[in-house]
Amino acid sequence: MGKIVGIDLGTTYSLVAYMDATTNEPKCIVGPYGSALCPSIVSVDADGTIVTGEAARRRLLTQSERTIYSVKRLMGRAPEDIKDELKIFPFRIEPTSTNVIRVRLGEKVFTPSEISAFILRELKSWAENFFGEPVDRAVITVPAYFNDAQRQATKDAGRIAGLEVLRLVNEPTAAALAYGLHKQKRGKVAVYDFGGGTFDISILKLISTDEGDIYQVLSTNGDTHLGGDDIDNALLVLARAEIQKQFSLDLSAHPETVQELRKALIRAKHDLSSATKASIQVALPAGLIYSREISLREFDELIRPIVARTMEPVRKALADAKLAAKDMDEVVLVGGSTRIPLVRKTVGDYFGRPPHCELNPDEVVALGAAVQADILDSGVKTMLLLDVTPLSLGIETMGGVVAKIIPRNSTIPASAQEMFTTGVENQTAIDLHVLQGERELAKDCRSLARFQLKVPPGPAGLARVEVKFLIDANGILQVAARDLRTGQEHSIEVQPSYGLNDAEVERMLEESIEFAEQDFSERQLIEARNEADTILKATERTLQREDLSQLSREERSNIDESVANLRAAVAGTDYKEVRAQIDKLNEATTHLAELVMNGALQTALQGKRLDEV
Amino acid sequence: MSMTQTSSATAPGTKCWSCGKIADGHFCAACGKIQPLPRGTSYFAFFALPEKLQIDPEALEQQFHKLSWKLHPDNFMRADEFERNLSLERSSELNDAYRALRDPLTRVEYLLAHKGMRKEGAAKQQAPPELLEEVFELNESLDELREARAAGEDLAALRASLESAEQDFQEKLAGVDAELDQVRTEWDAAIEANATESDLSKVMARMNEILNRRSYIRNLVVSVAKELADA
Repeated sequence: MGKIVGIDLGTTYSLVAYMDATTNEPKCIVGPYGSALCPSIVSVDADGTIVTGEAARRRLLTQSERTIYSVKRLMGRAPEDIKDELKIFPFRIEPTSTNVIRVRLGEKVFTPSEISAFILRELKSWAENFFGEPVDRAVITVPAYFNDAQRQATKDAGRIAGLEVLRLVNEPTAAALAYGLHKQKRGKVAVYDFGGGTFDISILKLISTDEGDIYQVLSTNGDTHLGGDDIDNALLVLARAEIQKQFSLDLSAHPETVQELRKALIRAKHDLSSATKASIQVALPAGLIYSREISLREFDELIRPIVARTMEPVRKALADAKLAAKDMDEVVLVGGSTRIPLVRKTVGDYFGRPPHCELNPDEVVALGAAVQADILDSGVKTMLLLDVTPLSLGIETMGGVVAKIIPRNSTIPASAQEMFTTGVENQTAIDLHVLQGERELAKDCRSLARFQLKVPPGPAGLARVEVKFLIDANGILQVAARDLRTGQEHSIEVQPSYGLNDAEVERMLEESIEFAEQDFSERQLIEARNEADTILKATERTLQREDLSQLSREERSNIDESVANLRAAVAGTDYKEVRAQIDKLNEATTHLAELVMNGALQTALQGKRLDEV
Repeated sequence: MSMTQTSSATAPGTKCWSCGKIADGHFCAACGKIQPLPRGTSYFAFFALPEKLQIDPEALEQQFHKLSWKLHPDNFMRADEFERNLSLERSSELNDAYRALRDPLTRVEYLLAHKGMRKEGAAKQQAPPELLEEVFELNESLDELREARAAGEDLAALRASLESAEQDFQEKLAGVDAELDQVRTEWDAAIEANATESDLSKVMARMNEILNRRSYIRNLVVSVAKELADA
């Protein structure tokens, strides 16, 4: 079995962390660009190569049509419910007859789970490089307010990336875990998690028991489409309107400029976390320049409505926990957007105490995930998370009304049993519709699944089928049915209303493995050919220019033969063969190289070993 | 009321699936393996509690944490699928049981449902006879309020009368809750005295009637509050 890691799959950035066995503390793994933050960006090359992370971010400015960011906003959603998203995000959605979104990137089309899987693969490779060992299991965090479909889509992404997802942990809960470890705190804690694309508030109770510490979530609330992205977009709307007014220039036809502008605005937003004003300067088409200064006051006014939107979930979460703001012992800030002064002030004023922000708000979620991963892996339990389901589970009854069977904020795992029977004679199936949400009517809730219970024909009301709905520790629904007359377990074909079925995930997994392996050997071949090219050129140059009297005839013919063999290998597609012939040529030219090095020959290779050229 | 450590969350005399010894707790006392949950186990039995309606909330919470620590799926990540499913079953039952028992009202509802004595049906929509007149008046006032609001008329007078009606029903709700407290005590005394099935049934029938009345009045209070908030 390989290593296990904790992953924060974020809207803007993703991180991977592990438990350091020597210090017994969680740590984030730093990637090849020197940062633990991996931009959650994916780009597809013209030749189909997948580029992720920092490299993909650079292409946002040059190849925006082939590059996607904030894909988390699309996870577990249906084509019809992302209309608002499309107004402000440059997602290119393919028309589809199914309920799963497909995004176009260049010539290829992917589901959001597949795109997230590319990000997970990148993090997996960071960790594998770090450990020098394969990584095959992970704990992945999700916003606490994610519904069943969004959780399932995240789990699918893990599977497609070749990771066994041992647990989905809610982000604020993971943060509380890292925080509690750090501070050794007990009592009631509010975690205010304002990230790149999602907002969560969780109210927890940290309890010491004889066995160990328990982190019990009392309630959670949030908005899975509210985050720093919305602030960026508010700035973008303002700047584009100003550009339109000042230069009569519509940027719709200039997606790369829009990305350049967005980047400059995000920089200004970051500057305003520690300064009272920031300047923005962006080169526009036709040599024009958009330049302005933005004050903190102006910024605050612009984002006030967005920050205000976070407070309604805060009030609801407190009400559900039957607690008041003043009952909180601590308030913890998580997520990059909590660096904004107005956010800190708003939260501090509401709770009547300065919020804690000493832990790095970008890393704390991944660190918590690593702690949970270690507990699950080692089997040594030092603490226990008791989380809740954010949304009520219900079934549709007569007249499209929803009967709630598991209320929101129930500790998970949670279950409910319902009895169903037939309404008419010789009915052979009972239709069920499972939903998630707080509204009264089915049409206002989130459809999770529809399925049929098969029953033997008979008089109305004779069939008695007991259905057990169970929300597991990941917050994902499982359904089982039992015919009470025969005692037989029913297998239920649950067709998710939104999302991929098992066969689709399986196929994507296979494709992605093929992809990865094919990518690997292609990359190896390209590298080997490049190397062969260099060594062939250097050899030829030396053979042409130099006085070769000191080489024996045998040595010379050996070199010629090796050159011919390497050329033949380069013409083929087996990178191993190319490597083998490179080695042989290196061997054949050892004496020649020595002569060059010794200065016996005047050559351009001076000072270098042949295999270094 | 006391909470004992010994659990009766498995039917007496059940044999452990793993070692074959008698196992009547969440875990087999002999081999320590988690046990399947017998169908129909009551939430009270799950917590090794008598079927009484007065429960010390702190002791219940402590027991909930203790059992969570033992039964949670985290403990069974390395076990085989059979044991993992047992953990899922028992830990979800634990959470369901705690959710039902920690709140005094849902505790009564659960007891009645478990005993097959919770009868809502039409009663939920039907006004209790002694309230008929007041409910009729209230509904009229609500209609007037809506009409007046639609016509853009002054709502102050109607508001005042509705607020006093709301107050009135709030008091009635408090009265029903006091009745419920009374019958809870009666129930616990009956359990203590090993009362006959028929006596227990009578108490449960009364509880059911009180619950129906309570839910009716509660709905009224909520809808009046909502109308007032909208007005």
